[in-house]
Amino acid sequence: MPETATPEILPGSVQEEETKTNLDLEPGYLVICWNDPVNLMEYVTHVFQRVFGWRQKKAEFHMLQVHRQGKSVLVRESMEKAEHYVHQLQKYSLHATMERDE
Amino acid sequence: MRLIRTSGDKLLFHLGQREKQALGVVLKLYPRIPSAHQPLSKTATLPDQDAAQRLLDEALAEQRAENKNKVRAFLANPKRFSVDEKGWRLTLSPVDVEWLLQILNDIRVGSWIILGAPEEKEEELNETTAPHIWAMEVSGYFQMGLLEALGKGG
Repeated sequence: MPETATPEILPGSVQEEETKTNLDLEPGYLVICWNDPVNLMEYVTHVFQRVFGWRQKKAEFHMLQVHRQGKSVLVRESMEKAEHYVHQLQKYSLHATMERDE
Repeated sequence: MRLIRTSGDKLLFHLGQREKQALGVVLKLYPRIPSAHQPLSKTATLPDQDAAQRLLDEALAEQRAENKNKVRAFLANPKRFSVDEKGWRLTLSPVDVEWLLQILNDIRVGSWIILGAPEEKEEELNETTAPHIWAMEVSGYFQMGLLEALGKGG
């Protein structure tokens, strides 16, 4: 029996398309941490690990970015999740805000 | 302040007499960051930003009130501190450590705000600034002690 050439639909491709559409519709929000000269570097690294579940190396990278460049974009998320992260970071008294990703 | 040992989910610290006294004095300063001090956003680009800001302020105020009661209970709990040969032993769970780090950083950052949020580390020492500089330094000292115990300091 000869093989027939039928259009191949890969599993997950429909879902991916839908996800992309949803992402396009929902604007992203950047969670930013700003430098405060008073926060201890070790403390900031620790907070990033706790709040985002990051490994130490990634947390240190962002901590140093805050320290050297004055701020670091930590994550891009939906509004609800970004609000959650800002609240968590502010609970630790870090200077964190969320800004719409234009 | 130094970690003596960890046992199960407990961390046992040694504190000298003056350290224990300083910890008690500094913790009683909580909260130091003024309420509604932290903005949710630096730009006016969020939908319903006023409502979202209000919710954040309320959540932080509620947490502050709860923490204030917990600080009082922490200092009054006779099981928390026990006398040893050279001072005091303090027993903390990992959850306590995490909570204390938050409390101490509020005191540190709040004291810095009271000082006018100076960019330079060296603040002029005088009668007015001394208590706030003391609170900043002492809270930072205990934060480092806790972070070192978690293997993250020094």
